[in-house]
Amino acid sequence: MNYSELTRRYFDTAADAGVLDGPDVHRGAAGSHAQGTWVQFDVQISQGIIRAARFLAFACPHTIAVAAWVTEHAVGTVATAALPESVPDLSARFAVPAEKRGRLLVIEDAWIAAVASGLPR
Amino acid sequence: MNSSVYLDYAATTPVDARVAAAMAQCLTMEGAFGNPASTSHHYGQAAATLVDKARAQVAAGVGAGPDEVVWTSGATEANNLAIFGVAGYYRENGRHILTARTEHKAVLDPCRELERRGWRVTYLVPDRGGVIHPDQVAAALQADTVLVSIMHVNNEIGVVQDIAAIGAICRKHGGVKLHVDAAQSVGKCVIDFAGFGVDLMSLSAHKAYGPKGVGALLVARCGVHLQPLQFGGGQERGLRAGTVPTHQVVGMGLAFELARAAPPSEAERVAALRERLWQGLESLGGTMRNGDAKQSVPHLLNVSFAGVEGESLLAAVKGRLAVSTGSACTSAVQEPSYVLRALGRDAVLSESSLRFGLGRFTTEADIDTAVELVIQAVSRLRRISGL
Repeated sequence: MNYSELTRRYFDTAADAGVLDGPDVHRGAAGSHAQGTWVQFDVQISQGIIRAARFLAFACPHTIAVAAWVTEHAVGTVATAALPESVPDLSARFAVPAEKRGRLLVIEDAWIAAVASGLPR
Repeated sequence: MNSSVYLDYAATTPVDARVAAAMAQCLTMEGAFGNPASTSHHYGQAAATLVDKARAQVAAGVGAGPDEVVWTSGATEANNLAIFGVAGYYRENGRHILTARTEHKAVLDPCRELERRGWRVTYLVPDRGGVIHPDQVAAALQADTVLVSIMHVNNEIGVVQDIAAIGAICRKHGGVKLHVDAAQSVGKCVIDFAGFGVDLMSLSAHKAYGPKGVGALLVARCGVHLQPLQFGGGQERGLRAGTVPTHQVVGMGLAFELARAAPPSEAERVAALRERLWQGLESLGGTMRNGDAKQSVPHLLNVSFAGVEGESLLAAVKGRLAVSTGSACTSAVQEPSYVLRALGRDAVLSESSLRFGLGRFTTEADIDTAVELVIQAVSRLRRISGL
């Protein structure tokens, strides 16, 4: 399979792979290893702003690249229960093949699970 | 050409320079370019002489007679000719075929097509090492079985089946023909077409440093009939019509002769490299060797890596290491290897496997580089997955 330059770059660096600790850290995960796609996000939220984000992923290169991009671009933004960019836009940005677009929904589910737990009820 | 390490010899091999030179001699005005069927003039006679020589070279390499060699475009065509040819000719004798779940698609797909046409096919399940035990064949034979098709060397895991024992069972049963896909065998282990008691055997040139686009079906001279699949010229005893491509078969003949002439030390060298590769990868932990190591050719190593996703593993080494995954990649989404699934591996481990094919030009330095690259990639992906 061939990957776009952007996908290749984020897959190769995956700079924000890892976990966070601390009182303001919220965690969410989605998918399963058995099904071949699992993503977890840790987000540190204070005063309604995402201060840091990390991810773990057992997934294909597209999923790893998008998860890495999401963590990078979410930092400094207002915490809302939504990805920094919509799934269709991310799909286009990373040239994700149609057969794989469902995997971006796993990223969205994991992200929303993490951020929503840190939002005021 | 890039400088990545090539460990995909089970997919294909480079053409030996001596083979390429011999082929080139058959293409131009100065060479044996004539139609080997046009024996009324010396151009055709010269080509026919080379085709006969190639036939003898191929036959000598696999324990067959020259008159048992039928040229094809490759092992896939040979498999199709064997399976549909037997089914067509012997259809009044029965409508049952016996094969294995770990066969190449070039056997499985023709069998599935015959199922669509009303045939019954039994797919034997190997043991966890990938071995089909001869007594499984004996137990699965039915009164109306007309064909048993079992491969010699598995293309994903390198396991060698006991064809001689299966051949003896088929002979005892009577009436059943034994076909063997030996595309991966030449130059890797002993092939004895007559001694194995095989009726039909598929061969490929490009897995043995010969050219792509040519292969052969060995058809035992006694009591084996096929319904041809193509017509128009009567070449190859009427079993495979079409002008014989002199340069291709000359290449295949010489490649088989060179394979036969290789000293035993070459197999020992490759076996030592494979063990070096396995020991290096095993040090990672969470690695599983697929296929019975004691019953496999030295040229193949198939390893599953726990904690990594298959497509990412392949992508992580891409550009630096040329290997295969057993996963079917017919679409954007990879499917787990059906061969490894048949061995009992779960879907995730079946997908996160790499097939390393070693060959004539593989060096110790290649192996060390491969080990380093894979360890690096797997360790990184495990960090990303948290596993």
